[in-house]
Amino acid sequence: MKELIFEKLKKIDVIVFFIALFLIIFSIFNIYSASYHEFSNLYIKQIIFAVFSFFIILTTTFLFDYRWLSSVSFYLYGLGIFLLVLVKFIGTTILGAKRWINLGFFQLQPSEVMKSIMIFFSANYISSSKLPLSFKDFLKLMLFSSIPFVLIYTQPDLGSGIMLLLPVFAMVFLAGFKLRYIIGFALVLVLISPLVWTHLKDYQKNRIIAILNPEADPKGTAYHIIQSKIAIGSGMLTGKGYLQGSQSKYYFLPEQHTDFIFATIGEEWGFVVSFLLVSLYLVLSLRIFFIGRQLKDMFGKFICYGVASLIAFQSFINIAMNLAIAPVVGVPLPFLSYGGTALIMFSFLIGLVLNISYINSKQSFQLYTENIGDY
Amino acid sequence: MKFNRFYFLITVIFLVYLILVGRLFYLQIIKGQYYAEISNRNYIKIFESNPPRGKIYDRNGVLLAYDVPTFDLIAFPYIVKENYKIEDLKVILKNLFEIDLDEKNQNIIKKNLLPKITLKKNLNQKDVENFYNYSYMLKGFYLEVVPKRVYTPEANYLPHIIGYVGYPTKEEVEKNPDITLSTLVGKSGIEKIYDHILRGKAGQKAVLVDAFGRQKKILWEKDPQKGNDIYLSIDIRLQKIIYETFKSSGHKSGAVVIVDPNSYQILAALSYPTYDLQKFYEGLKLEEWQALTGDKYTPLVDKVFSGRYPPGSIYKPLVSIAALEEGVITPETRILSGSEFSIGKYKYRNWNKAGCGYINVAQALEMSCDTFYYQVGLKLGVDDIYKYTKLFGIGEKLNPEIEKKVAIVPNREWKKKVLKQPWFHGDTVNLSIGQGYLSITPFDATKIVVPIVNGGKVLKPQIIKGYYDNKKQMFVSLNPEVIRVIKMKKWNLDTVRYGMYLVVYGPQGTAKALKSVPVKNAGKTGTAQVYTYLTRQKKHSKWDLRDHAWFISFAPYEDPKLAGVVFVEHGESGGGVAAPLMANILKRAFKEGVVDVK
Repeated sequence: MKELIFEKLKKIDVIVFFIALFLIIFSIFNIYSASYHEFSNLYIKQIIFAVFSFFIILTTTFLFDYRWLSSVSFYLYGLGIFLLVLVKFIGTTILGAKRWINLGFFQLQPSEVMKSIMIFFSANYISSSKLPLSFKDFLKLMLFSSIPFVLIYTQPDLGSGIMLLLPVFAMVFLAGFKLRYIIGFALVLVLISPLVWTHLKDYQKNRIIAILNPEADPKGTAYHIIQSKIAIGSGMLTGKGYLQGSQSKYYFLPEQHTDFIFATIGEEWGFVVSFLLVSLYLVLSLRIFFIGRQLKDMFGKFICYGVASLIAFQSFINIAMNLAIAPVVGVPLPFLSYGGTALIMFSFLIGLVLNISYINSKQSFQLYTENIGDY
Repeated sequence: MKFNRFYFLITVIFLVYLILVGRLFYLQIIKGQYYAEISNRNYIKIFESNPPRGKIYDRNGVLLAYDVPTFDLIAFPYIVKENYKIEDLKVILKNLFEIDLDEKNQNIIKKNLLPKITLKKNLNQKDVENFYNYSYMLKGFYLEVVPKRVYTPEANYLPHIIGYVGYPTKEEVEKNPDITLSTLVGKSGIEKIYDHILRGKAGQKAVLVDAFGRQKKILWEKDPQKGNDIYLSIDIRLQKIIYETFKSSGHKSGAVVIVDPNSYQILAALSYPTYDLQKFYEGLKLEEWQALTGDKYTPLVDKVFSGRYPPGSIYKPLVSIAALEEGVITPETRILSGSEFSIGKYKYRNWNKAGCGYINVAQALEMSCDTFYYQVGLKLGVDDIYKYTKLFGIGEKLNPEIEKKVAIVPNREWKKKVLKQPWFHGDTVNLSIGQGYLSITPFDATKIVVPIVNGGKVLKPQIIKGYYDNKKQMFVSLNPEVIRVIKMKKWNLDTVRYGMYLVVYGPQGTAKALKSVPVKNAGKTGTAQVYTYLTRQKKHSKWDLRDHAWFISFAPYEDPKLAGVVFVEHGESGGGVAAPLMANILKRAFKEGVVDVK
């Protein structure tokens, strides 16, 4: 039995596995640092989530078959929408946003679940369509995406809404959807953006203004940005040392264990580790892209593309926001930010990727990259 | 090459991550030092604590000025703004501290315009208790300890000397690294002159604060150092006697100075009228301020050190010394001094129309005989009169710290420069009796007496006896400082002193009022013409047309312990007004045993 597990472990992708494992463990230390001074037990919860996530990765990798998702993706989509509607009625309101369903032991965040579901759903939709994607198929997929987007956007949670759409766009792009349609679609987005602007909430507008000129309103919206910049910058080359971050310890930095965890890391660990961390996200996402590229199975391939772009974009936006080059939208840093649903979902996605590569390697697929073209 | 979507996306992602790394490098490596400094400032706040200022005592330890702590209610607008609605805040402040939050402060809080604002100064006991009782619901508020200067009732006898304190200007803070904008510094008088002794050193506390301004931990603390206590040379008992005597005389304006001629310590110095020092420091109402500044008796002017007036006959002892020393006359020389003296067509009158007859210098002093001095003065010449005046220290700041203004002593150059005219004999005649262009401060008048009684020593005048040095834990006393010694023959000095004795005790003396003083004493009267003879003819009905009344004095005659000056502005007659005032002062001083100069 032991031998069997070892054999199995040898077959999975070690780069993806160990990067994910490292990030999960690293998150415990940083959440401890970001919250221990408040005498909070957040890190204990995070340890429980981490252990749980680890089991999810292992079970998803070995005791699961991703192909099953293909047959249920439509029902899962329905379930996700149901949860998002449910949250409107029985959701818990925290800081003015209704995003969670209280399960007693756990605050479920349906938008996080929906992000993953949207990846299987799109992968299934694309892999069962004729490629390159037709305009009609594209519109249908956009329609399916816009329903959860609107539900999430009105929570309000613009960040999660965007993160729901971006992987879908990436998958559509890789599915060979005609470039002129993509450009046209982008133009439409640009044209309607003033309309969107007028519908944005004041705080959302302020966040966008703040990124353009943070010093204009240092105690208001831009406060996060300035404090985050100071925290990261003051970390310098090697950081102030673990548990030594003054910006974070003395409440200058808000939401330091969730959306701004990267600032705490930058402050305490400095450039060396921050750089390493950014590189890890890049390597993780590129590795998953390449796993997808090797696959002949279209469903598995597009799941990989979706997961890879979700990790790439979400990490990028979160870190860019911490570095004050992107507006403050509520987007957690994958694996590192505190939050149970997100961690579990990301672990499941990683498990899924490992499962895809494991199953496909077990069947010792030949690599047909040339034959399957660009998809 | 065919467009490859996969590698295109990979490249985009790679480039986008390169931006992250570049930004990270910029923030942490290029601007790292900059942000590190901001970060330090962010959470370490330096709080200054004001040191208690030294006390001011009189020479015998009577308390005149001291510090008490008061509390100001301070608010941090940005914290307050985050925790309260303006409406709630108004109710809280009204109920707890009876503060009506005005538009201006509301605006500051709403817009977060200032880092901190003072909501109420000088909280009363109930306010302070309320603050502590309700501190759990007062977020963003704190009490600031502010030292307040208290002047005792005794200090009101000499407000001009003590001066007052206030907050420094920005320029003063920039010049002096030891003070901050919240340090009380001396603005005038002793408070200003000896500010460096009285002012302590501010304490500093480096405190770790969080973003809400809450103190988390004290990193280091430097205790404030209390300022040193100063002991004035003033004897407040004497000062009080002088004040009361002057007040009960009914005269409106003047100055009295008493010094110890052996040390030149100032024992009393009254500039009358006075004002309420405490009120002045704490702030006057507009009407009160206008009343003070508009008062024709100029209570705010320190007449002792900054009023300049013609000395009149009190100048004669100095002219006598000059004439004797220069050999123009001897103590025995008798000169016929009639009712007037003429040079060409100009006639110079004697104040006593009867004239004085053949008199020597001592008698000339006794009778204050103008015509005697006209002749002696002419023989002596302006240059020698000027020389002795300067030797005595008149027109010279013997102690620049306390003498704000000194006499204007005219001579040939002065007249040429200022009036563009040559010096005439008539000018010398006028100068001989202390009239004309000569004008001196009441304090300058002491300079006439002091060298005459102490044998020619020109000393540095002192207004403090010393101070208690907190660091060395010892009393530092000021020793008399001899600036120069005027060489004068003993018999010349004795002659002048005897002449001044005759002023009081002689048959024709002009200050017989002083006879009633229980110790033997001497002096010289002076009645200084303010306007020309013709103008005066209009009668002395208007106060500001009347002559000034002077009296200089020393006592006891054999072994002088006091040298004094009484000046009554527009008091009309030295013998009739100033001398009796001095008599009353000395009588009380000796009767009450106040003169205990050691």
